[in-house]
Amino acid sequence: MSFARQVAEFCRRDLLTERRAGEVVSIVTPFGAVALMSFPLAFGIDSALLSRVGPAVFWVVVFLFTMQIALRHSAAERPQQRAVIALLGVDPFARLLGRTLAAAILILVFMAILFPAMLLFYSPDLPDGWPVALIPGALAGIGLAQVGTLAAEVTAGLRTRTTLAPLIVAPLAVPLLLAGSQALESLASGGSILPWTVLVVATDLALAVIGAAIARPLEEASL
Amino acid sequence: MSKPTPWLRVLQLFALAAVAVGLVMALRAPEDAFQGEYARIMHVHVPTSWLAFLAFGVTALGSVMWRIRRTRRWDRLAAASAELGVVFTGLSLATGSLWGGAVWGTYWDWADPRMATTALMFFVYLGYLALRRTTDDPEAAASRSSLLGIIAVVQVPLVYFSVNLFRSLHQTQSVRPGGATMPTEMLVAMLVNLAALTVLYAALLATRMWVMKREEEVELAPAAGAGVAPPRLEEVGDA
Repeated sequence: MSFARQVAEFCRRDLLTERRAGEVVSIVTPFGAVALMSFPLAFGIDSALLSRVGPAVFWVVVFLFTMQIALRHSAAERPQQRAVIALLGVDPFARLLGRTLAAAILILVFMAILFPAMLLFYSPDLPDGWPVALIPGALAGIGLAQVGTLAAEVTAGLRTRTTLAPLIVAPLAVPLLLAGSQALESLASGGSILPWTVLVVATDLALAVIGAAIARPLEEASL
Repeated sequence: MSKPTPWLRVLQLFALAAVAVGLVMALRAPEDAFQGEYARIMHVHVPTSWLAFLAFGVTALGSVMWRIRRTRRWDRLAAASAELGVVFTGLSLATGSLWGGAVWGTYWDWADPRMATTALMFFVYLGYLALRRTTDDPEAAASRSSLLGIIAVVQVPLVYFSVNLFRSLHQTQSVRPGGATMPTEMLVAMLVNLAALTVLYAALLATRMWVMKREEEVELAPAAGAGVAPPRLEEVGDA
């Protein structure tokens, strides 16, 4: 089986499992929407303030909840499953890439549902040409999927996996959070999204290189 | 239980003496024309920042060598150095914050990239230490944490050059290849403290590695109950 086919098969398997379990769509996404709604209650009813902080709150919610998506229970493999996959001679990077791709699709779906919700709840003053800022936003979502999948692999099989992985991921994902949130700010102040797009592309590429380099040792460590 | 080797004792005593000399020199160094006595924080802040970078670099080295050699010694080096790196990063953040509060009028400024990136580095290595504690199997802990030890070190150049990449409250490097931006007496005092705290780091690293080795020996030692042998069949038969 070719490398691309292996990647596609792992992605398909994770998406199929998610479709059956419905963990992201029916649990994580509504919980994310509740989090998005809880901020105005904490801030108080100040429409001008909410309009200003809406996009930033959206990114904080995306940042925190994508960890839940990357570490979703339905995607966790048992040691026996991992051992069988390794014994079958599957390329560890193909496995990592396939799983990252599935996580990226789910995170982009999560963002696509929450973004209109943020527009509804916060009524932000979006600058002209704001859809362009969706490009670094989507790339940041892909980066979050990469860093989340890597952390999920590093902590695979550990009892404290769901609490430990976000601790590792959160500081490493800050450039993605910055790029995603500041692109819109930059447009609003008459600037360009290019520097933020460059930052997020560089981070995504760096994460891809790291993933390729450590995929095999990661597999050995988790067996 | 074995005792520390004589050279380790000597290193510990030498480190204490060096830190004492550094302290005296820091207190005797001239006052800063603008910052007054507050500038003396520099003699602790700069060395602890430098040692944080060194410690995390050593962690990465130990992690790489563990992956190549698979010997406990390299894992102990990586783990001990990460612990010290976290301590020195914490000290650097604390002293920097105190210095900033006195001189800039603020203890924390989010717009300062050096502060923000140093804090992030601190949390990444806290995650590294937490990862090591999730399993009792030293080989499993070494296997997982060595990967994080190698990945996390990419932050070190980012933190170091953050003051050059972004303009902010934090000053750029005071000591450069072209010379220093401070009087010779202050520079000498700072360099002595840098050397003294580096010796302290070496002494603490060696001590922590020694303690880790002893802990592993205790873990591997037979339990106390194993010293009582069960009665043998022939003895039971004789009775």
